[in-house]
Parts: sequence; structure tokens; C-alpha cells
Amino acid sequence: MKTKYFLYVVTVLFLVSSCKPEINDFTPESGSADLTSYVAVGNSLTAGYADASLYASGQKSGFASILAQQFAYAGGNGTFKIPMMPTEDGVSPRVTPTGLYFTTKLVIGYSTDCLGNTSLAPVPADPNPDQAKLAQELTTSVAAEGPFNNIGVPGVKVGHLLAPGLGTLNPYYGRFAENPQTDALIGEAAKVNPTFFTLWIGNNDVLGYATSGGLEAITPMEGPAGVGFAASYTAVVQQLTSMASSGAIANIPAITSAAFFTTVPYNPIVLSEQAMVDALNAAYAPYNGAMAQLKLPYRIKWKLGANPMVIADADMGIPVPQLNIRQIEKGELVLLTIPQDSIKCAFWGTQKPIPNQYILTSKEIKKIENATDVFNKFIKDKAVEYDLALVDFNSLMVTIATKGLVFDGIPFSSAFITGNLFSLDGIHLTPQGNAVVANYFIDAINAKYNANVPKVNISDYAPVVLP
Amino acid sequence: MRKFTLLLLSSVFISMTVFAGGYQVRLQGNKQNGFGLVGTPLSAGASSMFYNPGALSFMKNKFEIELGASAILSNVAFQKNGSNYQAQTDNPLGTPFYFYVAGKIGKMFALGLAVYTPYGSTTKWDSNWAGKYLIQDISLSAIFIQPTISFNFNDKFGIGAGFIYTIGSVELNKAINYSGDAGVNLNGSANSFGYNIGIFFKPAERWNIGLDYRSKVNMSVEGGDATFVLPSSLQGTLPTNNKFSAELPLPANLDLGVAVQATDKLLIAIEFDWVFWSTYDTLSFKFEQAGELLDSDNPRKYRDTFIPRIGIQYAFSEKFEIRGGAYYDTSPASDNYFTPETVTLNTFAYTLGFSWNPSKHFSLDFSFLQTFGLKSDKTYKPDNFGGTYQTSALVPGLGLSYKF
Repeated sequence: MKTKYFLYVVTVLFLVSSCKPEINDFTPESGSADLTSYVAVGNSLTAGYADASLYASGQKSGFASILAQQFAYAGGNGTFKIPMMPTEDGVSPRVTPTGLYFTTKLVIGYSTDCLGNTSLAPVPADPNPDQAKLAQELTTSVAAEGPFNNIGVPGVKVGHLLAPGLGTLNPYYGRFAENPQTDALIGEAAKVNPTFFTLWIGNNDVLGYATSGGLEAITPMEGPAGVGFAASYTAVVQQLTSMASSGAIANIPAITSAAFFTTVPYNPIVLSEQAMVDALNAAYAPYNGAMAQLKLPYRIKWKLGANPMVIADADMGIPVPQLNIRQIEKGELVLLTIPQDSIKCAFWGTQKPIPNQYILTSKEIKKIENATDVFNKFIKDKAVEYDLALVDFNSLMVTIATKGLVFDGIPFSSAFITGNLFSLDGIHLTPQGNAVVANYFIDAINAKYNANVPKVNISDYAPVVLP
Repeated sequence: MRKFTLLLLSSVFISMTVFAGGYQVRLQGNKQNGFGLVGTPLSAGASSMFYNPGALSFMKNKFEIELGASAILSNVAFQKNGSNYQAQTDNPLGTPFYFYVAGKIGKMFALGLAVYTPYGSTTKWDSNWAGKYLIQDISLSAIFIQPTISFNFNDKFGIGAGFIYTIGSVELNKAINYSGDAGVNLNGSANSFGYNIGIFFKPAERWNIGLDYRSKVNMSVEGGDATFVLPSSLQGTLPTNNKFSAELPLPANLDLGVAVQATDKLLIAIEFDWVFWSTYDTLSFKFEQAGELLDSDNPRKYRDTFIPRIGIQYAFSEKFEIRGGAYYDTSPASDNYFTPETVTLNTFAYTLGFSWNPSKHFSLDFSFLQTFGLKSDKTYKPDNFGGTYQTSALVPGLGLSYKF
């Protein structure tokens, strides 16, 4: 009798509680933002450019695609059209002395240097790509598939957004513009009737200067819309806020912290023989003598061990052009694009000065930092003026570069390849890096609009792919 | 009988599931299981070897065999911080068991052998879940073998001690942040030693007081197998078949309990357990090859915990007893060093049980526990991985005892 009663109790308890625990404490909400239709405006970062190319899976794992996917939980219409590239190798046009040359994305592969040493390194996915095929892939119009929600275009500066006919100059826009000769990129945004926009622009206004080793100009602050940073940025924000009721704008990262600038050391010349040291010192004795005569502080000295490279620096302003060379200082930066074989085998940095396009001198770094600060202050003011969410990637970048960050057990640093943040071009992001960026957008949007957009799992995305 | 015993033991897959503090599992007697897991102040026959060896010499029969097991059906739910991402574990059935045999020598001595499984944990997340770089699945188990001797000075005061030999094993899988299915499987075993000492005191006819100390047991894995799945380009740097060593402490316990036979039929007991979890400060892995790349020190920063328990038993007759109990077990893990490998929350539990004694020699003990891990926000800061965790477990158990 009692046994029966107890079995009964036990059975009931068992049934009542055998349902597994579930937690549902998170209710996605858009707050005061309207996330229905999202348009992403910006440059290569918004386009999903990575590994030195625009290619299909990179576009899909760009931060804008990730944001659209998360917005769909909080009122987004789930539509996010991207002007997709047709292949996984993608296309990137390069201007060379002999004309345009098209390359594919970079992958990690085995490359053999001039000394015969084989090691893992970024190499083109296709070392000898069919130029006609790539040219066609880049220029075939996909405008009929629009309108597009992701109108990020690699290479654009803030003024470009307003320029009619940009499509004739920038093939990444030309391929999805309906009328490349006349359309302005900003006009594409209106076509999706956006309720929400992200604008991440301005990087190329300083980056162009930085990635060319100071050869391209930094966009001036002053000047009319289309020329000056301030007027252009204001016009762009004005137009976007007239289309969409809410949005987020992101500032310019501290770009000189990117792997593109921090991977190659300033002092890669390792001398192990005294004879070599003596020969170099003897060779530069006339230079040192000339500098002494000119009462200039520059001296080129060699010692056993690691030595700074000799670089060309036109800013030295010595009337004798051959004398405008010096040893690079600690803190000055060497670009990732420097041909390493030339250092190893063609005496770059010892007998031949490194061309200025591969170097950022202290003076140039200062210019970049100043311009970035001025632009970012302006961007911040616009965020306040137009009541928009502001995403501070400048300080994120500084934090990652100085202290590193960890998300979901994945460490992020600015280190090339192993840092998980930068793709193989050293400046654009890995899918994991894009996920981190998307979460920073979400944080800023949630804070500004009292929204509750769910963050994405960083661990769902890939780091640099190793063979 | 013997055949059945062997069969049962060999078919038990020794893995348990976290359902209380840390990776401790205190299901070592089905009478005690139903009684709020109170055991230290009871003279419970052969099972006293685990709860309090000092009480063993007070056993009422000349010879006792006890055998039993529990089935832990546990679940963990997780929701990530700032996200609608949810995950649940798919834990296999946990089956802690015990086997005790004890005999009395004269009036004052008792000798026995105890085999039991007081620590273990199996947590199985989906292999592609959000925390895969922290843990995908882990199972650890330890079988304690404890020869025991107990002595009573008179009918009021007894002491006892057991030497513990431990056979332990651990296996875990975690993903590694390289592309593809990169990951590592660690599999090792460790044998170790410890002891269990207890004092049993009957200050008055209806009162029992028990005090028990079970020592820490250090499970040191040496030369465990570390099998890596890696992109081929890394296999020159990192060997795919490596060896590792690690140390996992099974903490000491100090238990103090008081029981009172309030009436002929009603037994009430309370017990306080102090678990010395603070010994679990860091989980370190050292690898035989490429240690400079692989070795890691992972802070755990556990704190000692304190568990109050209560048990009540009512005997309807010689043949039939019912019991119930409850306890509250705090989490040894702190809010910022909480890893999904051991999901240990502040946990409330109630217990039920009954015993049926069809004859003088034979009895059957049934128990049932339900635990409720209190939903809370936890983060493992070194990996910046956190969210809300909740746990629950159902634990039915069955024990047999034979005595004469």
C-alpha cells in the first residue's frame, strides 16, 4: 500500500521534472532603432575584402553580413543582398608599371625564397591567373541582381561616395552600378529603402597614404564636398540620415597598429661576420664624412647582430639626391609588401636603400596619426550631431595591439597570421576578426538605441586557413 | 548472488555526472542517498566505511555486504552573454556505484573493504558549440578501494580508519583554433593514495555524533596520451602524438553530523560538510614535446565549500522505513573562473527513499534525488567566455544488502 504510494510520488516527480532546464533570458529587440532594412556603406572592410582580394566567402563573412544576420532576430527583414563575386579566388586589380595586373586572393602555401629555403607564407591562390578571365570576372555587371544592401566598395574614400561616375574608375563599383558613367555610390543606398545604415569610411583617406609609404596624399580636411574630408563626410551622413531613421558610424582604426605595418622588423639585417661589418662601415665612410661636413646628425653604422636597414628618405631635404638616405629608426615602420627576397639576396637595406614606398618614417606616422585624430574627432561630432551610434574601432585596435583580447577562448592580437584578427593581407580582417567587429557594432547599437541585438559567436567563424 | 554482483559491477560504465559541488559525487549508500546524503552520524553498517569508519565497529550484524548504484540523469543549459545562443549538454547516464563488505571480529573490532566512486564528472557539449575552444567533452572518474579497520572502546566511542587506493582516469576533447577540425584528445590515468578516518560517539542513548575526515587524493596523470588533429602544415611543429602530464586534486572532506532517535520510529539528523576545494587552484598541462608551445596553466581558483544537510527517517515497521532529506551545496567555482568543463552551481536538492526488509538478512533500499542548480551568470575570464548556466539532475538509486 505504502510502497505503491511512494512509487506513485516518485513517478510523478520523475515526469514533472524530466523536462530539461532551458534558459531563455534574452529577448531580441531593436529598441528605438528600426532594423527592418539595413544598408552597409563603406570601403573594403564593409565589402568583406580579405586576403588581398574580394571573393565570395569573404563577402559572406564580412561584418556587414554578420550584422544583417543578427539584425534578423530583432526586426530585420532578413534581406541582405551583396554584389557577389563569382569565385572563391576573387579578383584584385593592381596598377603596375606595365599596366593593370589581376591577382587572386592570398592563401597560405609553401614558397621558396631566393636562398632556396622553403617555408609557409602567403602566396597567390593562383600564381599565374588567366588575366582575361579575371578581368571579365571583375567587370561583368551584376547590377541586374540589385538593389544591394551591401554597397561597400574596396578602395573608396569619403569623397568617392559622392562622385558621379565612380563606377568608371573603380571596377568594384562599376560591376554593380546601373549606370557606371553617372551614378554616385551614395545613391545606391536609397534603392533598398533603408531604415538603418552603417557607415565605416575614412580609412582609405589616411590608409592610402600609409599603404603607399607616404606617396599618396592624405585627404585634406578642408575643401568642398567630394574633396575635403569634413564637407564630404557631412554630406554623406546628411544623405544617409535622410534615407534611414537610425544608424551606426565607425571611426578610423589606429591603422599603423595593423599587421601590415608591424610584421617586418626595422632591423632585419643580421650580420654575423666582422669582415662584412667592416666592409659596410668602409663603404659608408664617405656618407658619414659628408654628413659631418653638412653638420647633419645622420650616420650609418654597422655592427655584428641585427642592424637597421638603410632607407631612402626624401624628407631629409639634402640637395644631393643620393645623400637622402639614412638608417631607419626604431619605431619607424616597414610595410608587409616589401620584397623580402630583395633584402635577402639583392642587398636591399645594406647596399641599396629601401625605396620610400615600403617605409613609414616617423614624420609620416605622425601625419597619419594626426589626420586620424582629426578625422575621428569630426566623426565623433557627427555621431553626436546626427544622434547616431558611434563604434570606436580606434581604441579597439589599440587595445588589441597593445594588450590583446580574448573572445570565446580565441586570443586576438595584431600579429600576422597567428593573431587571428588580420587576414593574409595584414590589414583586412579574417572571418573571426569580422565577427569581433560585428559584435562591437552590436554593442554600440544596443547602447545607443536601447536595443537588444544578439551578439554572434566568434567561435562560429574561421581564422586564417592553414593547409 | 555472487554471479549477479560481478555482472553488475562489470557492466557499470564508470562515469558520473556533475550534479553537485565540483566533481564530487556523494552517492555512496542508498539509505544515505534518501536521507539528505547524511551518513557521518549514522551507524549504518558496512556503508559506514565511506561515511564514517568510526561507526563501522558499531554494526549490528556479524557480516554485511552492500551493493548499489545510482543513475544520474543530468542536464546543463547555457545561454551566452548578450546573445540568444543556447546550448544544452548531452551527458551520458552517470552511474556511481558502491560495494561494501564488512565483518565484525569480537565485540570491539570490525574489518571491511569498500569500493566506491566519490568523484567523477561527465560533461558532453556539442562538439561544435560556442565554447568548443574551452571544452567539448570531459569525463573523469575515480574508483576508491578502501580496506578499513574500526575499533570501539566501549558502547559509546568508536574510531576507524581506512587506507584508500585510487584508480582514476580522465579523458577530454577540445577544439583548437586552427581551421578545419583541429583539436586535441587527452586521455590519461592516475593511481593514487589517501585515507579516511572517523570518530563515532554516542553521548546518550538516543544521540549519535560523527566526525569524519577523508584526505585529499592527488590524481597525477603522467604520460597520458595527447592526440592532436592539426592542419598538415603544422605537423612539423606540433607532434600529433604527444604525451602529457596533469594533476587534478580530489579534495579533502571534513564532515560533522548529529543524529537523534527522537522516538522509536523517528530519526532526525543534521550534518555539515566542509569540502577543501581551495586546493584546486590551477589546472596545469605539461607536454613531453613542444612544451614551450603547448604547456598551459589554467586558473580554477576554487574555494572551500560548506554543505548543510538534513535527513528524517520514519520506520513504519521492522520491514519498512521511509526517509527524506535535503541539502544545499554551494559552488566551489567563483563567478569569474567558471568553466563549462565543470558546471557547478549553487545547488538545492531534496531526497526521498525507502527501505524494504523482506527478511532479517536481506534488504532493498530505494532512493531518489532531485537537484536544482540555481540559474546564474558565470564567466571564465581568461577565455572571456560566459553566460547563464542552469543545471538539474534526477538520480534514482537502488541498493541491496545482505547480512547475518
